[in-house]
Amino acid sequence: MDKKILMVDDDTDLINIYKPVLEKAGYNIRTAYNSVDGYEAYKEFLPDVVFVDLSMEHFDSGFVLCHRIKKLPESKNSRIIIMTSAGHETGIRFSTETSEETNWIKADDYLEKPVSPRDLLQYISEKVFKNK
Amino acid sequence: MIIEKGKILVVDDELGMREGIRRILEMQGHEVDTADCGHKGIEKGISAEYDLYFIDLKMPDLEGTQVLREIKLVYPEAICVIVTAYASIDTAVETTRMGAYQYIPKPFEPEELQILVHRALERRWYILEARRLREEQERRLLEVAHEQSRMRTIINALDDGILVINQEGQVVLFNPGFLKLLNITTEIAIGDNVLDIIPAQLSNQIKEIFANRNQVQAIIQEIVIHPPAKLVIMANTTPILGRKGELLGVVSVLRDISELKKIDIMRSQFVDMAAHELKSPLTAVQGYLELVVDKTLGEEPELYEGYLKRSLERTKSLVNLINDLLNVTRLEAGKVRREIQLQNIKELIDDRIDFLKNDIKQQNLQVLLDVDSDMYVDADREDMLRLFNQVIANAIKYNKPDGTITITGHKNRNYVKVDIADTGIGLREEDRQRLFEDFFRAKNEHTRNITGTGLGLTIVKKIVDAYSGKIEVNSKYEHGTTFSIFLPITKSQLS
Repeated sequence: MDKKILMVDDDTDLINIYKPVLEKAGYNIRTAYNSVDGYEAYKEFLPDVVFVDLSMEHFDSGFVLCHRIKKLPESKNSRIIIMTSAGHETGIRFSTETSEETNWIKADDYLEKPVSPRDLLQYISEKVFKNK
Repeated sequence: MIIEKGKILVVDDELGMREGIRRILEMQGHEVDTADCGHKGIEKGISAEYDLYFIDLKMPDLEGTQVLREIKLVYPEAICVIVTAYASIDTAVETTRMGAYQYIPKPFEPEELQILVHRALERRWYILEARRLREEQERRLLEVAHEQSRMRTIINALDDGILVINQEGQVVLFNPGFLKLLNITTEIAIGDNVLDIIPAQLSNQIKEIFANRNQVQAIIQEIVIHPPAKLVIMANTTPILGRKGELLGVVSVLRDISELKKIDIMRSQFVDMAAHELKSPLTAVQGYLELVVDKTLGEEPELYEGYLKRSLERTKSLVNLINDLLNVTRLEAGKVRREIQLQNIKELIDDRIDFLKNDIKQQNLQVLLDVDSDMYVDADREDMLRLFNQVIANAIKYNKPDGTITITGHKNRNYVKVDIADTGIGLREEDRQRLFEDFFRAKNEHTRNITGTGLGLTIVKKIVDAYSGKIEVNSKYEHGTTFSIFLPITKSQLS
């Protein structure tokens, strides 16, 4: 069965860019433009991996979504990856380097935008589904 | 040292003696006055201070001792020589006890007189010099005392806290600013040991300087003091060195930088958010361009035009964002040069509606205008155009197709009020409250395809604030929003 990927981002351009590329590579893609729809889509779709933008309705709504997903028992089969432009150089410091930090941000990894479509493909095939 | 040209008074009832002395002294270059009786002698003698007085002991109207006493009363340092006959030599000796400098018995040789005058004028020089030095010293002391009280006044008036501690750890000087800043309510007197009263970070600075007395340097440190409120103090503790470089004590200067700190944090937050906002459009542009350039990603070429169009639109929004960022920082830095002139509000609004007419047409909006034509404010034209442009552009952008924009403007007693109402998507209450925050944009299904920088209303608010105006927002989600702008009416229209 195709691997399932959920992308939650309020930037329609980014969805437009990533979705066809990932589909072409054989992934099953579902998208959502805000955290509420993202949560509903997660429960219904139960993806293998979720990409979450941090700043949607609010600056921290991506965090909230991560926390809500992690509370679901089904989430232990999903990897949650934050994808944001609020990187280190913008002064917002978080990482998944220690378990404490991972636990706090409730995400398994974190990608700093911009992420090129090719890098995203590579990341998914090498880092996310490597052991599966 | 000697007075070369002395001013000398001769008091003698004998014409021969008076003129004789005068002739001899004038030949030596001195300036000589005479008085022919005791009363005149006193009168002249105290009207000005002479360098030297010759006083005859026996005069018909007054005793020379009387003249001497009167002069000495006024000029205690006056040099008086008593001229006397041998017969009254005892009395003459007596006069030296009364303060006479010398006596000279009659008759005397010109040389005797010259020697006496020479010595007397030497003495006079020393007296005058001593007096000058004394007066100068007094003047300096006075200045120092004055200077000290002036310094004291300055130190007490400083908002900065000042604390001076001697080697024994005792307070030598402190000012009210110091007590206020550290919220010290205990009584402190000069000589007290305060190291236990002041915050540990500060006393540590002071102790550190005393501990490293051989390599004393100033310590500058930020000290954070919690309760009552969070207080950030810049503490600068500097050693006070003696003439030989020995450590005499320390002076701590404390400055409250809490407000600066807050501004600093706000500023860096603004930069963080700006960086985030700048990256978003670039991420999209970069992604689209990669799809076009990297053909192995397998995209269909007929989609490329759409990708490039979106890239162009995101690039335009990036330029707008940069312009808005510059506007905000300029308004914040107060760098805006304002040319304050009389501005007609109706004319400004008409101008902007004309400017935005294509956008209005595109959405097929109807504009209803009810603005007083004789309404003026004192303002910079660019500011006012930007203000109305932004609010009207929002009413277009967030309207629904075929909607209405209603602009009403009326004069009140001391302000003008302009309402700009749309029939658009409206705001949720939680979004309405955050509307003027930097970079805030209401995000919901209606706004997804509307571009904006999140700074437009930040700019509007800053302009309104700059003119002591006010802006209010009323909104109903999915029904429309009304912005009410209040601006002070021009002075020429104040009733």
